[in-house]
Amino acid sequence: MLKVNIENITISNSADNYLLLHDISFETNYGKVYTILGRNGAGKSTLIKSLTNLLDENIFSIKGNVYFEGKELIRCSENVMQSIRESSIRYVFQDAVNSFDPLKTFKYYFNNSSADKINIDELLNYFLLPQYDEIAKLYPYEISGGMAQRLSIIFALLAEPELLILDEPTSGIDYTILNLLLFKLIQFTKEEKKTVLLVTQDIKFAEKVSDEISFLSNGTLLPFKPKDEFFKQTDGVVLQSFIKSFSELS
Amino acid sequence: MKKVIIQLEKVSYSTNNETLVSGTKKPTDILHDISIKIYNKEILGICGESGGGKTTLIKLLAGIIKPTKGDMKVDHKISFIKNRPSRTQILFQNNSDLLNPNRKVKALVDEAIKLSGTKKEKFEKEKEKLYDMLCITTVLDNRRGKELSGGERQRIALARLLAVKPKVLILDEPFSAQDVISQLNLLKVLKRINIELEITIICISHDLNMLKKLVHRLIVLQNGKIVESADTSKIFKSPKHPYTKFLLSAEDFSLSENDIHSYNSGNSSNDLNKSKG
Repeated sequence: MLKVNIENITISNSADNYLLLHDISFETNYGKVYTILGRNGAGKSTLIKSLTNLLDENIFSIKGNVYFEGKELIRCSENVMQSIRESSIRYVFQDAVNSFDPLKTFKYYFNNSSADKINIDELLNYFLLPQYDEIAKLYPYEISGGMAQRLSIIFALLAEPELLILDEPTSGIDYTILNLLLFKLIQFTKEEKKTVLLVTQDIKFAEKVSDEISFLSNGTLLPFKPKDEFFKQTDGVVLQSFIKSFSELS
Repeated sequence: MKKVIIQLEKVSYSTNNETLVSGTKKPTDILHDISIKIYNKEILGICGESGGGKTTLIKLLAGIIKPTKGDMKVDHKISFIKNRPSRTQILFQNNSDLLNPNRKVKALVDEAIKLSGTKKEKFEKEKEKLYDMLCITTVLDNRRGKELSGGERQRIALARLLAVKPKVLILDEPFSAQDVISQLNLLKVLKRINIELEITIICISHDLNMLKKLVHRLIVLQNGKIVESADTSKIFKSPKHPYTKFLLSAEDFSLSENDIHSYNSGNSSNDLNKSKG
């Protein structure tokens, strides 16, 4: 469904065209959870934002192609991109509170989705949130970070996208909610045959939820591997110390 | 015998917040009947889910807020002011607001060392000791707050807190939003601070696994009440309270959807008020 071939991403407004990422290629299929692991600052968020042209053109320049169901995304028109972002590819960003307009109540976001109230209440209830009538009245600054994160996930799911992209979904969320998110993502990929692309540094969650895992370091992406094979890899210094630290901590 | 340095006796804390939803005032109990003894040089962990009262509890312990009921004793005297400001330091959750983004690391750290009243001739030695303790390289000296990674920012912030030589260091979710390599480094640094500088550490986290590696004693908070409190090894070997067992299984991802929903049934309508607290 998604075929990524990025030659490089550079910061173009700096004098020396600073190279951020290079030689990134991978493909995703329906029905699977793909996870990109990596240290803080490895460029994970930059990579997923580049897939649908979300990076600021004045700062970043991308060389390469991204195909979604055969359509090229990097050079497509803003209108086409907009409709893909609205219905087919949905993001849940790390900084959930700031992904909402502070001047609009949540009613606006619920109205934007075609889902009916029963579906909405079911999802709210699933993620241990108050019902629609209570949430719809609130402004983004009236809720906690954890609630904003859950609502952001709910709005993404209500759009019934083909591809759901999650940026660090585990940060700031209790393990109880993470358990629920785990079940939801498995249902989304296995029952509804949709795709999840996840970036995180939380190995424990990645191990539970993923079908295939890859690692981003030194500006490039290792090939995706089934999760059992991924943890048996012995090459790469950063990856090794990443896996070693994880086993020391668990 | 171990020396008690901070003691809470039947402390409660409630607010009289106007709820934004209904516009009416109603008192909210955030902490209820909390009794804790904190011993000199120990590492104490406080865990529980968001909205459980963890942050309110550390604010009390640091003397930022006063209990609405009960007493807090610092060095056996009923005290509020005595616990401030340099005696207890708090490291807040790691985010971009932790340091002034436009000031250089050197200025940030030097300022804190000067504030502690360190004499000129000892200044460089003191700084070297701090940098060594926190694995900070002098390369960072000329960077500005905004040019640091999350882990670097956290260590510089810690250097500022330790420069004033606190007796008690309080950490609010220090491990969140960090990768495993940084978590492991921080864990080692905190243990050194506890042993070499003889500083009492209170650490709140929802990550039981990290607490298991760090703390000597653990307190479990649920809806503003202490439900379990014991030595860390004891809690992990044989948890007594159902909530502790629930948290441990959640972290192992060994709960079913049903487990979670039946455990939380009845709580969800309170969720809104809890998370604002």
